[in-house]
Amino acid sequence: MFKPRLFPGGVHPHEGVNGKEVNKGNAIRELPAPERVVIPLSQHIGAPAKPVVAKGDHVLMGQVIAEAGGFVSAPVHSSVSGTVAEISTVKLCNGNETQAITIVNDFKDEWVELHPAEHPETLSQAELQSIVRGAGIVGMGGATFPTAVKLTPASGKVIEKFILNGAECEPYLTADHRLMLEKPVQIIDGLRLMMLSFGVKEAVIGIEDNKKDAIAAMKAACRDVEGIRVQALPVRYPQGGEKQLIYAITRREVPAGGLPIDVGCVVCNVGTVYAIQQAIREGKPLVQRVVTAGGLMNNPGNYLVRVGTRVRSLIEACGGVKPEVRQLVNGGPMMGVAFNDVDAPITKGTSGILALGPEAIDPPEGPCIRCGRCMRHCPMKLLPVHMDQNVRDENYEEAERLGIMSCIECGACTYVCPAKRMLTQSFRMGKKVIAARQRAAKEIAQKAQEELKKEQEAAGKEAK
Amino acid sequence: MQQMQKKLIIASSPHIRDSVTTRRIMQEVCLALAPAGIAGIVYFGVDALKLILISVCTCVLTEYLYQRLMNQKVTAGDWSAVVTGLLIAYNVPASAPWWIPVVGGVFAILLVKQLFGGIGSNFANPALTARAVLFISWGSIMGSYPVTRYMEDAVSSATPLALLQQDPSQVSVWTLLIGNHGGVLGETCAIALILGGVYLIIRGIADWRIPVSFICTAFVCFLLQGGFDLALKEVLAGGLLLGAFFMATDYVTTPTSVPGRFIMGAGCGLLLFLIRAFANYPEGCSFAILFMNVMTPMIDRFTMPKYFGEVKKHG
Amino acid sequence: MADTSKKLTFWGTFMNGLVTENPTFTLMLGMCPTLGVTTAAMNGVSMGLATTFVLVFSNLFISLLRNIIPDKVRIPSYIVIIASFVTMIDLMMQAYLPDLRAVLGTYIQLIVVNCIIFARAESFAAKNPPALSVADGLGMGLGFTISITLLSMVRELFGSGSVFGYTVMPASYQPMAIMNMVPGGFITLGLMMIVINAIKKMAAGRGRREEGLA
Repeated sequence: MFKPRLFPGGVHPHEGVNGKEVNKGNAIRELPAPERVVIPLSQHIGAPAKPVVAKGDHVLMGQVIAEAGGFVSAPVHSSVSGTVAEISTVKLCNGNETQAITIVNDFKDEWVELHPAEHPETLSQAELQSIVRGAGIVGMGGATFPTAVKLTPASGKVIEKFILNGAECEPYLTADHRLMLEKPVQIIDGLRLMMLSFGVKEAVIGIEDNKKDAIAAMKAACRDVEGIRVQALPVRYPQGGEKQLIYAITRREVPAGGLPIDVGCVVCNVGTVYAIQQAIREGKPLVQRVVTAGGLMNNPGNYLVRVGTRVRSLIEACGGVKPEVRQLVNGGPMMGVAFNDVDAPITKGTSGILALGPEAIDPPEGPCIRCGRCMRHCPMKLLPVHMDQNVRDENYEEAERLGIMSCIECGACTYVCPAKRMLTQSFRMGKKVIAARQRAAKEIAQKAQEELKKEQEAAGKEAK
Repeated sequence: MQQMQKKLIIASSPHIRDSVTTRRIMQEVCLALAPAGIAGIVYFGVDALKLILISVCTCVLTEYLYQRLMNQKVTAGDWSAVVTGLLIAYNVPASAPWWIPVVGGVFAILLVKQLFGGIGSNFANPALTARAVLFISWGSIMGSYPVTRYMEDAVSSATPLALLQQDPSQVSVWTLLIGNHGGVLGETCAIALILGGVYLIIRGIADWRIPVSFICTAFVCFLLQGGFDLALKEVLAGGLLLGAFFMATDYVTTPTSVPGRFIMGAGCGLLLFLIRAFANYPEGCSFAILFMNVMTPMIDRFTMPKYFGEVKKHG
Repeated sequence: MADTSKKLTFWGTFMNGLVTENPTFTLMLGMCPTLGVTTAAMNGVSMGLATTFVLVFSNLFISLLRNIIPDKVRIPSYIVIIASFVTMIDLMMQAYLPDLRAVLGTYIQLIVVNCIIFARAESFAAKNPPALSVADGLGMGLGFTISITLLSMVRELFGSGSVFGYTVMPASYQPMAIMNMVPGGFITLGLMMIVINAIKKMAAGRGRREEGLA
């Protein structure tokens, strides 16, 4: 019955020191709450949250300290109980600067009054959306797109299928793996509640084949639930990419520039669904998450970390890093962001903190030998070799025609390139330039239209 | 931790790379070429070894000197010049004088490779171009094939190719397989070439599509011309296997798309058949591949694949 | 193109054709005889001189008639003038140099459509006085002659082991047959252009430096 399903291309990146093999056996431990937490107001894609507390205010754990700054935004909650010390600008792991609220912990862990849903099995779509929105839940695989927005399909679009992303295809990361092992019942429960609310009859949980225990645990948990099935997937990066996962499970291609909902699917990370379940059943907002500390840590592990904890605390909990460390990465080694400030806070989107050694230093670029490996391994079936040439020649029109805007920046091409060319890096730049040009063109067109309107109005007045 | 923080590097993802390098690929190609070279040395003796060494040294030295003189980054150590050197030597008869591979090597590396921008930028396969130039310039040297050390009668020093088009029964399949017949240094032993070719394909260095479509097309053409016996022997004889596995699969001068690679292989096979069967030259392999080499940019343009989720725009 | 802002001199115009705008190495004109006949140095010289002869006289006459020829029929007129001189040189060569004429064959007649001559007629002789036009024809013609002689010397040296018919390579030298074919002509031309461009670049660099100092 089982037939191997695969998206085109992809790679199987190698693991380094303390990769999945080591960390998948480390049960989730709770990282003790730090003395002060620094909670950024922009932990998601979209408008930053607006603070609703002031310096000196006493806050409880789970209390809203900043509310959503727009439709595509998410509120932020305090992850400890204590006193607001300051609201200042901090630098995040991804290099962005944002406002953050610093709270001094009183170590009482007093929860704000929680309101679990009264009738969780019969929530309407709007009720579920408002719970998810209120709990500040964002995509926890790393994309940090506000989940409530994802669960609000544009008019005319219907969710046919929920797809749960348990692929965890990046090397090193084991946070989702551990969560599926330790909280399978809760994840399935959350998924079931979502299905009930949206009237969705079918849900598939995609898990990579190298997590046999997680597949077994999830299968056991969903045995009695109708409509949910676990799909073992071949081990191949980027299996966890939204479009790749949908293709592997449903054989549907999300059109370029489109969203999963265009093919009737909504993809959620298992961590996100767990957070949704917690919000519905216990009324708890998203104030902590599982983070994998891997690589050159002395004692790697999976930690339940309060949002706003500094990376330094996590590293200290791991017994420090080995001396040969050359790079710290927020996320996986293929798509994660390198950072060098250990005082940066851990956010809702931090799936892992990795310490990488000298292998992280970019080798010198050689000339392209046109071997075509990048094309064979591109999960989007793009032509990296030609796109790169055009970006470097600043021939952005041609790069755009070749589909550069569909590049998901998974890094597979750069990984396999024998000449060690910085392909993904070049596409990232090319995409930025093209996006900027498109914006500029739009603005010019808009201005011209406005002027035309004014002129017409003026002409109309004169005529009168 | 302060100290650690100082040496941390910031770079754009991905942060890890595969261990395959250009150099590794070229080394593997050299390894795959080794059996054919050994067969050549076994059949033609020290002469063959001498030519191989001269050819490889010329190529590497030319590349090194050019890059030094032009103040370029020296990439002579990436083994690609070694591959070119080996291929030139394999395409020369063992009786050739020492300066033949020298001229060929300089021509290939200097004119075809470096002047067009070095590795990755050559418009045609350097080794093949060199072979074509040598063949046209010194036809008598390049076309006179010495007998192998194990051939019983020196009468049959004509290449199997010449005999095949007269009467296929004159040549046995076994002779072609083990390579005990006249020909250029590296093309005689079919077993050694197939061994190397299969190794390249298994290691994922050469794409199977080009050699397979090349050989199949040629086979079918000869099948239609003269039946199974002729077709089988034509495929095993001459430079077809060497060309199909090692020269038509050169990365730089072959299409990158999947259908393009089939077109490349089929085109080579068809041209090879036309030249062998109807033209003046006994061997058409190098010209067939060279012709398809220069067609490559066009093939690539016409066979551009559709990307994932691409929406065809109307109007 | 000729610089119209400066006053043209006889010597300047001559040198322009000989060096700065050398028809073979800079303008890339007249490629047909350049590749076709340059297999031996003697062919190069005679082809070049024949072309020079036609070029000088056609330039002279076109320049003289430049104010009389109506604009609309200028091309046919040029062809008539050029063809007359080509016929003259062709007949002269048949009479006095029959062997050479046999070697060059139809290339002599093809001078009629040699684009160097046309280009000079159209872009120079039709706009400038006769003396300058003769200077341009001489410069261009001799520039062409020198270029294709150099080219044919190299090709003869490698293709036949001799220069102007005298064997210079050792007896053991095996001539490189490809040099006698068209591909050999392309390759040699390309390589010579690399050398000449490199020299020009160096000269220009030095010129700039001197100007900078002054």
